[in-house]
Amino acid sequence: MIIRLLSAALVAGFLAAVVATGLQLTLTSPLILAAERYETQASHEAPTSLVVRVHAHGDGHSATVQADTAWEPAPGFQRMAFTGLATLVGGVGYALLLGAVLLACGREPTVETSLGFAVAGFLAVSLAPALGLPPELPGMPAAPLETRQMWWVMTALATAVGLYLIAIRRVPITILGGLVLIVAPHLAGAPDTDHTASALPAGYAAQFAARSLGIAFVFWAVIGLAFAYAWSTFGRGRPEVARG
Amino acid sequence: MSTSTLTLAGTRTTERLGAVLVAAFLGLGLVFMAGFAPSMTLHNAAHDFRHAQNFPCH
Repeated sequence: MIIRLLSAALVAGFLAAVVATGLQLTLTSPLILAAERYETQASHEAPTSLVVRVHAHGDGHSATVQADTAWEPAPGFQRMAFTGLATLVGGVGYALLLGAVLLACGREPTVETSLGFAVAGFLAVSLAPALGLPPELPGMPAAPLETRQMWWVMTALATAVGLYLIAIRRVPITILGGLVLIVAPHLAGAPDTDHTASALPAGYAAQFAARSLGIAFVFWAVIGLAFAYAWSTFGRGRPEVARG
Repeated sequence: MSTSTLTLAGTRTTERLGAVLVAAFLGLGLVFMAGFAPSMTLHNAAHDFRHAQNFPCH
């Protein structure tokens, strides 16, 4: 069963990565590149940039600072290739988690269950964290990285457990508990989104947020569908009793 | 008959648990590597993916 699960996750992650990489390269990467031009411009301009620069140094993550200290992929093909590779790693990772959760909940990965759990995955790791921490372009001022990562992980976990309590356990008390868990991270409050004006056109940020969530949904949907397909393909020819 | 059925069910449960643990461990590791690893090199390589998939970045 381990081999079947790992193989199905590999196939699902690969197919989803192919689709999502294509979408990222055409829809989000151009916006990231455009935003980086504003980011570099801002950090090279005189008085106003001083603030940006100090801010960037304070966070220690300005693109210009990184360029001096650590390796980064060359612009163009290499950068696109690494984006694809990262999407593949992330896609296989999500597919493995999807398979683990399906089996842990005792569900046979059919198209319906697999897609349903994948949509729950989208809600837990994409939509719920995005409500507090909207997808952001490089150069948009934000709270410290660790604080945001912490809130992201807590929100994803709380939403996942909440959805489990509501959709799988499905009795009044767990539904109530699930709702509390899903709402709690938002009541506690995400790290502050900076509302200071920046040179980056607002249209870019808005387009990026919408496209990012759209791509995340497609990513998860393909993972779900492909996982169910690969699971049944790799299980074909097995005796009925050993299935599942 | 019933013993063999029980043994089979037991083996399947153990097998399932093993598969779940292995997949969860590997899955978390891969997602961490792509989305959260603090190493600057990994961050730069996965930069555009992290932004597009809304992992906290920068």
